[in-house]
Amino acid sequence: MSVIFSHNMNHQFKTEIAEVFTTLQDKLDFANCLACGMCTAACPYSDVHDEMDPRKFVRMCLLGLKDEVFNDNFIWKCNMCGRCTMLCPMQVDIAGLVRTLRGNFGLTAPGTLQDVVENQVKTGNQMEVTKEDYLETLEWMEEELQEEIDDPGAKIPVDKVGADFLFLWDPREIKYYPLDVQSIAKIMHAAGANWTCSSEYWDATHYGLFNGDDKVSKILLKRIAEQVKRLKVKYVVVTECGHATHAQRWGKNVWLTSKEGNYPVFNFVQKEAEWIKKGIIKVDPTRNPEPVTFHDPCNMVRKEGIVEEPRYCLQKTVIDFREMWPNREFNYCCGGGGGLLAMGSEIYPYRLEKGSLKAEQIKRTSAKIVVTPCHNCFDQLSDIIKHFKLDVKVKHIHHMVSNALVLD
Amino acid sequence: MALEVNGKTIELDEDGFMVDPDLWDEDVAVALAKTEEIDELTEDHWKVINYLRDYYQQFGIAPMIRKVTKSTGFKLKEIYELFPSGPAKGACKVAGLPKPTGCV
Repeated sequence: MSVIFSHNMNHQFKTEIAEVFTTLQDKLDFANCLACGMCTAACPYSDVHDEMDPRKFVRMCLLGLKDEVFNDNFIWKCNMCGRCTMLCPMQVDIAGLVRTLRGNFGLTAPGTLQDVVENQVKTGNQMEVTKEDYLETLEWMEEELQEEIDDPGAKIPVDKVGADFLFLWDPREIKYYPLDVQSIAKIMHAAGANWTCSSEYWDATHYGLFNGDDKVSKILLKRIAEQVKRLKVKYVVVTECGHATHAQRWGKNVWLTSKEGNYPVFNFVQKEAEWIKKGIIKVDPTRNPEPVTFHDPCNMVRKEGIVEEPRYCLQKTVIDFREMWPNREFNYCCGGGGGLLAMGSEIYPYRLEKGSLKAEQIKRTSAKIVVTPCHNCFDQLSDIIKHFKLDVKVKHIHHMVSNALVLD
Repeated sequence: MALEVNGKTIELDEDGFMVDPDLWDEDVAVALAKTEEIDELTEDHWKVINYLRDYYQQFGIAPMIRKVTKSTGFKLKEIYELFPSGPAKGACKVAGLPKPTGCV
């Protein structure tokens, strides 16, 4: 039983937080907490780790127990998945509270998280890929695609002014997983998409979302807004990455002025679903005969409401699609969200303990492939599969779609 | 996690990458390859491994996959055949590079 000492209570604390709170709600809304405990009941991890107790954490903030708050593991170990807020009767933005505390009170992010943020600001992308290397990889994959489908007309356009949309990559697709570039470009080609990449700023990811540094976040988002303007595109499409989708959509509303952020943002799965639905691309589900289940990335599904599109893609491109339970916005975080994947070896056993829930969910479907449109989930799922010895592969939606594509 | 090679203890991180790349030698590479389920390192494996090491020693980071294919002459497909978990998590690991930072 812990004790609350009245002399430790600092009633200014909630105002200090509210002053720097980055949220679309009123900044003091978190003070509406009723202490009912729905958040802790909603947190999938409250039964896995004792300190995963959002109710207690919010209480400490509201009572002004500053030292306790900043020494609490909750700040870095919460995945900011937002399941608590979804079920909170007062909609207390707990993920937002965690992010605000991470970034505005002089804390340094653990593991390599801080370095990744700095790389991203300094070099324009989180993996320090040079412009020359980036362009060369795009060209290379264009050639590989032309060879694969025997069509010299297949292109990966760069800086095409007036294209319909700007496509943003995850740098790891460019640096380590170029076959993903080929797979995505193949779908674009089949759809006859009028798209473009940018030669300047092309990184969709956004580690400022994880370490809570709003100054950085503003810089990163402004760079994308500039590309939209420079290339005169109508909208932005983000690669299959959950946190990037959330940062590019929600982030526009909190870090940019309404004039700067005056462009729509979609995830690639939304385009894939649209193209299948309208018959713009043709797919043959018999190409993907193995049983498939779907893992909902919190940032895309719960926070951005992109729920049915990935399911639609799977229903059309695989023969045997099985939901895990619970699913959609009720799904459990994989345990790797909120930047935990970049927090180093210390947090590894911890996030795998969280992953035990996901391992169970996957196992119960007996699926052989788990699909997720998120790179962060992809890595955590790979770690889970290895650790819990599951006979399952991880794929993105575009892998299933490009594999099922029927080209005329 | 750790590997024992010729009486030396090689410390590995949570993903099986070397914590101290300076301790790498060819015997360590053979032991690391076994963790990747590669039973024997052929001449082709060494070509990739040596390129990765030289690049890392010169620039302090892993090269782009594009550079690996161009410099070794292997197609991407062939690299996956040599290192089934891929260039980042397979080849770089056996070459003794530390785990790359960022979303890898």
